[in-house]
Amino acid sequence: MTIGRDDVLHVAKLAELAVSEADLPRLVAQLGEIVDYVARLDEVPAGEHAAPYLAGPDAVRLRPDAVDPVPLARPPAAIAPEFVDGFFVVPRMGGMEPA
Amino acid sequence: MAWETVIGLEVHVQLLTRSKMFCGCANRFGDPPNTNVCPVCLGLPGALPVPNAEAIRLAVQAAVALGCTVHTHSVFARKNYFYPDLPKGYQISQFDLPLATHGSVEFESPDRGTIGCGVTRLHVEEDAGKLLHDRIPGRTAVDLNRAGAPLIEIVSEPDLRSPAEARAYLTTLRQILVYTGVSECNMEEGSLRVDANISIRRAGAADLGTKCEVKNLNSFANVERALEAERERQAALAERGERVLQSTLLFNAATGQVRMMRSKEESHDYRYFPDPDLPPLVLTPAWIAERRAELPELPDARRERMMAEYALSPYHAGQVTAERPVADYFEAVIAAGAEPRAAVGWVLGEVLAGYNASGRFEVDAARLVELIGLVNAGTVSLQAAKKIYAELAGDGNAAPRAVAERLGLVQVSDAGALAPIVEEVLAAYPAEVQRYRAGEQKLMGFFVGQVMKRSKGKADPKAVQPVLLSKLG
Amino acid sequence: MTAAATAREVGRRLVEATRLNATLHWSQELLDAEARRVDAMPSPGPLAGMPIAVKDNIVTTEQPTTCASRILEGYMSPYTATAVERLRAAGAMVACKANMDEFAMGSSTEHSAFGRVLNPFDPERVPGGSSGGSAALVAAGVVPAALGSETGGSVRQPASFCGVVGVKPSYGRVSRFGLVAFGSSLDCISVFGRSVDDAARVLSVMSGLDPLDPTMLARAPMPVPRARDDLRGIRIGLPREYFPADLHPGVRAGVDRAVGLLRDLGAEIVDVSLPHSPYTVPTYYIVNPAEAAANLARYDGVRYGVRANGPDGDLRALYRATRGEGFGPEVRRRILVGTYVLSAGYYDAYYRKAQQVRALLAEDFRRAFAPGAVDFLFTPTTPSPAFKAGEKVDDPVQMYLADVFVCGINLVGLPALSLPVGRDGGLPIGGQLIAPAFEDEAMLSLAMTLERVLPAGDEVR
Repeated sequence: MTIGRDDVLHVAKLAELAVSEADLPRLVAQLGEIVDYVARLDEVPAGEHAAPYLAGPDAVRLRPDAVDPVPLARPPAAIAPEFVDGFFVVPRMGGMEPA
Repeated sequence: MAWETVIGLEVHVQLLTRSKMFCGCANRFGDPPNTNVCPVCLGLPGALPVPNAEAIRLAVQAAVALGCTVHTHSVFARKNYFYPDLPKGYQISQFDLPLATHGSVEFESPDRGTIGCGVTRLHVEEDAGKLLHDRIPGRTAVDLNRAGAPLIEIVSEPDLRSPAEARAYLTTLRQILVYTGVSECNMEEGSLRVDANISIRRAGAADLGTKCEVKNLNSFANVERALEAERERQAALAERGERVLQSTLLFNAATGQVRMMRSKEESHDYRYFPDPDLPPLVLTPAWIAERRAELPELPDARRERMMAEYALSPYHAGQVTAERPVADYFEAVIAAGAEPRAAVGWVLGEVLAGYNASGRFEVDAARLVELIGLVNAGTVSLQAAKKIYAELAGDGNAAPRAVAERLGLVQVSDAGALAPIVEEVLAAYPAEVQRYRAGEQKLMGFFVGQVMKRSKGKADPKAVQPVLLSKLG
Repeated sequence: MTAAATAREVGRRLVEATRLNATLHWSQELLDAEARRVDAMPSPGPLAGMPIAVKDNIVTTEQPTTCASRILEGYMSPYTATAVERLRAAGAMVACKANMDEFAMGSSTEHSAFGRVLNPFDPERVPGGSSGGSAALVAAGVVPAALGSETGGSVRQPASFCGVVGVKPSYGRVSRFGLVAFGSSLDCISVFGRSVDDAARVLSVMSGLDPLDPTMLARAPMPVPRARDDLRGIRIGLPREYFPADLHPGVRAGVDRAVGLLRDLGAEIVDVSLPHSPYTVPTYYIVNPAEAAANLARYDGVRYGVRANGPDGDLRALYRATRGEGFGPEVRRRILVGTYVLSAGYYDAYYRKAQQVRALLAEDFRRAFAPGAVDFLFTPTTPSPAFKAGEKVDDPVQMYLADVFVCGINLVGLPALSLPVGRDGGLPIGGQLIAPAFEDEAMLSLAMTLERVLPAGDEVR
């Protein structure tokens, strides 16, 4: 199985990543090579219900319900590309709709 | 053609915790924008989520209250999509291994009596921030105070058959969640949010029709209105022989109309996968059993018990148990010695009015019972007692008896004290006395009224009549 | 020597090392301020006055943290990583922020948006990656120790290429809070040192439970290990899959010599097999991009970082331009691959399958380390010495294969280290020691023992 141009454009859209026409052919080739390479996992016999790997502890540790945020050495206004009256600011949604 | 409506609801509920789901920021409504934020809920590079134990406890409490099977092993997953209210570019939620499944909510359907609506699943997730579109001309303002607030999502089975039934289910669901202390469930403040899935099919058909999702429902009444509008739209399409297209619609409360937001073809590919930052949520059966044991008596059971125990009518029992604090107050009044019948009158009258206005019980149970005792003993009239109640509400230290005396509301019921007033009245109306003695017995009411008037309302009407009878003899 | 004097000396060496392009930010003012802070500490602490370079994907409030990416150019973190907080509390000084492959994606430090790092042994060659800046700074003698990060060997591989020690602790031993996430189930803050002891002391201070990292195991901080007198009673396995026929002869000679020394010290050397090893790199290149695609979604130009507005002036255009222009080619590739393997219809075939194979890889190691089997594994760190710049930069799969012996360790969360075992044609060769989970201290102790007898500066053939 090899990745095509449409696959790359589709995932680029999902990932909100602009891909230029000039970059596209090489990207299609490189992604195809990578995906073909990793697809060799097909050879490994592992049943549908084989347990997946789990990194870290077997169970998550929970936090007591206390108000103690990690302090900010500088406020949001100091790191934001656009910040007005206490708000982060972005352009209008355009075609985007909430999830 | 007869169409059957099939409705399932997805309800998001904010949990009543002090801090957010995955960080130590305050879980609070109404602060200046972007002030309850930290590296975690801002999605800053390098920050990691740590789940809030109390949020998990409340979610499990909700799950057992809804009769769900709580899973000892559940998994947090990332739901990936881009939106400016979502700081990390994914929402931490649960997907194929949710906290709880297979619950049921029993409620009174307006059409079908007492029925159960299945709960497919209940899972834990984090809230998104808020977007303000009218704050800065041409731009969208982002406030992340709410980002990371703890939520549960409760997904129902498609068991509801009418918009009114959907509303009744929501009313019961909210009552249970408020009772168990899980959430305030305030739709105006957004602590309860509803998305509705609706389809229609020919009456008697087994297969489900194509469903549409209706969003932006900001009150239970609007849930019902929106579903009615959408049912009409789908039925009209079907009557014309057109197909319903799977889609997401937004309800406009001003016009009462729904409008298409996106079709299925544009639906999202959320690329769910287990969140590698969060090991599985593991709960022991013993701990889950403790949560079940901790569960307060739920509204349904409490209503039944009150009807049996206090001989309340179904209506009164329903009213008294509608809100847990009111039911608790009512039972405290009974425990302090009041008669159920008198207690119901007070609790659903003065007490509830005060509670709805101020959000608290202004007169503690002991003082209310004392006040009821004064009425029962004839010391004050019911009318006077209501005046006294108002005084007690304004002064937490005031004692009913003292207020009654200070306001001069203690009734005169002693025959010896009433006799002079009765004699004054009879002396003032000789003609009426004559007519009474001649057999015009209905004048008794007139004499009682005159005595009440001269006593400035302090005479106990029940005590006045025997004195009158003896004098008119 | 006071911290103030050390700070001036480090500043002088940083200037000297400018040609390596190993730093992304440093200033004498900040160094002097660090020194004043340390000299004013009432009790000096175990790392008093030790200058440490910090990879630029570990957040600090005083310097920018860019991850060597345009998208974070000038980004000043509002908080400091737990690991750095602990080092500073122990008396260490942050010397500089070190250059790296963008977002730690790469094995050569050629994928930095701010230029490649030169290998101090040969400027035409790469220092390895992604922590190439940190490795080069230790190799050039600028600092005795440096923080790097590992997702798939990004400290051990450059340690091998630069002739220094590189230690990756057990997953869950050092807090990730403040390490910019790449592959969350793989990421570990790791350490470079001139010697095993330097690295071990730094690791010891950073280790220990941090309530802000939910993936840590509740273990006490790692004590500082000591060298052993000999290695009698220790069984060391040589996994045959890590000694392929086409292994570079210099690497083979270096590792063989180290194995001979281990035997001389009394260790028993046995042949073992890790049968699923051939699937290591494919598994890694599914898990890693999938997690990376989600972890890098937050760089959207909304809350911080560099924003590009795009042609249409709407939000989607902003996202696409910000991310399209802000990320370099390797980061874009990984995001696209990761998005692909998680997308509808492919999840089971790729991501789920990879996590299952990952469990099989872990089982291979569990068997190898089972009671009565071996105590440690020893392998080459890399298939070849440092390669030339430009050699693999446009061939992603060849670049990925540079990590064939190291990335499997991240998949299974074990501790491992690379130490210099000799030189071939003037280029350093690294040997890799792998230990069972949370045997970090025993692993370091064995490495110290070997280090004492290794002529790491000598040619191996």
